[in-house]
Amino acid sequence: MTKNPPLMETQALCKSYWNEDLETPVLFDINLKIEKGEFVSIMGPSGSGKSTLMHILGFLDDFSSGTYLFQGKLVLKMDDDTLARIRATRVSFVFQAFNLLPRTTVLQNVMLPLLYHPTIATSEREQRALQAVETVGLTDRKDYLSNQLSGGQKQRVAIARALVTEPEVIFADEPTGNLDSKSGAQVMKALQDLHESGHTIILVTHEQATAEHAERIIRLRDGRIQSDDKDFKRRNVKASDILHI
Amino acid sequence: MRITDTFASAFRAVNSNKSRSLLTMLGIIIGVGSVVLMTGIGKSMEGLILSQISILGPRAMVIFPGSGPESGPSGVQAGFDSLTFDDFEALHRLRTIDTLAGSIQLPGRVSFGREEFEGAAFGTMPEYFHIQNVNIDRGRFIDQSDQEAGRFVALIGPDVARELFLDQDPLGQRIHLADRAFTVIGVFEPVGTVFFSNFDENIFVPLSTARSITGKNYLDIINMNSVVDPALAIADIESFLRQRHAITDPENDDFTVRSSGQAEEILGTVSLSLTLFITTIASISLVVGGIGIMNIMLVAVTERTREIGLRKAIGARRRDILIQFLIEAVVLTLIGGLIGLALGIGLAFITAMIVQQFLDTYQFGVSALAIVVALLMAAGTGLLFGIYPAKRAAALSPMEALRYE
Repeated sequence: MTKNPPLMETQALCKSYWNEDLETPVLFDINLKIEKGEFVSIMGPSGSGKSTLMHILGFLDDFSSGTYLFQGKLVLKMDDDTLARIRATRVSFVFQAFNLLPRTTVLQNVMLPLLYHPTIATSEREQRALQAVETVGLTDRKDYLSNQLSGGQKQRVAIARALVTEPEVIFADEPTGNLDSKSGAQVMKALQDLHESGHTIILVTHEQATAEHAERIIRLRDGRIQSDDKDFKRRNVKASDILHI
Repeated sequence: MRITDTFASAFRAVNSNKSRSLLTMLGIIIGVGSVVLMTGIGKSMEGLILSQISILGPRAMVIFPGSGPESGPSGVQAGFDSLTFDDFEALHRLRTIDTLAGSIQLPGRVSFGREEFEGAAFGTMPEYFHIQNVNIDRGRFIDQSDQEAGRFVALIGPDVARELFLDQDPLGQRIHLADRAFTVIGVFEPVGTVFFSNFDENIFVPLSTARSITGKNYLDIINMNSVVDPALAIADIESFLRQRHAITDPENDDFTVRSSGQAEEILGTVSLSLTLFITTIASISLVVGGIGIMNIMLVAVTERTREIGLRKAIGARRRDILIQFLIEAVVLTLIGGLIGLALGIGLAFITAMIVQQFLDTYQFGVSALAIVVALLMAAGTGLLFGIYPAKRAAALSPMEALRYE
């Protein structure tokens, strides 16, 4: 019996941005492995390259050199349509700014990724969306318009939207950055719950406290991995933090 | 992404910003509306012109004195004495025409007791009523014996009868015309307007009587039917009369020959070119409307950059975004087109209601072809002017679009 390959693995991954002839390197020699079911924080100050790393791992951007293996398969340079298909089926994102469609109901927002999904049938859409909304505890708000919700609720809708296609991995880019601490706690609770039920989550943040909700913290500085440890006291969202969901 | 999803999302986008969508559509609404209205009016005008001529039939022809293209076919030119009775008799020898009738115009003021009416009076021949397809309503036509005896009898139009006699029976009554008394022997059936003058206001008396009153030894108009192609008949008459009047240069013609078929052609061409001209101007507003659509779509692309980024991040392909924005532009223009269509038809209908007050043969008309063309043009405008904004939207890279503030 062969061991399953890691979900994501990079070897000597580098990334530079080119502005005319001027090279601006942002990532150097990134080597990391992320297993299925992990809850990983990628942490670092702004400019450390953490967002770029997330974009590369999430198929939003390409890299300059090195290798990236997703589910053991080599990720080569891909055309736009292939990238789009991978984004539609394998990965999803939760953004700092929520990025919900305005004047559109919660359910419609959650259903949006299914419109671009190549295999999920139209008839299944509503059922799946309802289930995702229930997972984040917003069933009673499903017909609200997105602009009628509080910040914490909006981010939970975004999490439901990320869940609905059942991706291999969910990327959360500063998901609590626009939220007060109580709403932030609600969102972190939702992410921890997802992790409990088996989802792989990669959290990008610059806050130590937020990062400590994960099981593992990868610290980046100036485009290099500074540390990668699981040896810290993990934070769990306490019921007292989320009294008024 | 399925096309039905794209349409649904386009309708949502248009609907969620109603007032802006409406303002955007305004150009298209006005463009389509004016094209439909103008072509509708053009069609009605054409129908109106045809109805003026069809009463006469395509074989009807006229000769009147004087020359110049400005002379209308049914107009009578006063002061020209070039068409003599001898000419009229001689014209009977031509094989290209038959059923000739010469007429003299009389002053149109007619009275009965205290009632007065300003119509149009002619001394004419029995053949005239055949050429003009006039039917008798009451009494009888002017006949050959009236003509030979030079009787003071009159055939009057239904409008004359109504104005002078109200509810009384006009038959046998004596009316005054050109300072003479005439006995009414008949009333003809309503004809309506012919060449835009009201035929029902006419009064007819025998030609011989009119000649004796006025002392004219020339005719003001000669009506006839052609038995061959009207163009041939015209050429035949022209060369015949030129010879009789010793005219060598057609520029010096002292008469004019017209056929109703020719008039129909000329009026039809005029009305068609007028319609085309106005429609072209109206189409320009469609282009202006299209530019409005492009503007607002460009604004929408900028405004919704983050939405585009999000859609790409969750799996939308370049093509999905392109089609989404194109369809939004087309939906905008199509809705605008439909509103414009309703507006154009409504205005054409109102126009018809108003014009009918003055011209009862004017019919409400809408050109089906114009509707199809206008709507296709509207959708085409949406596609054409939607391409650029949609391409810009589709080309955005997902990370940059997501970061856009």
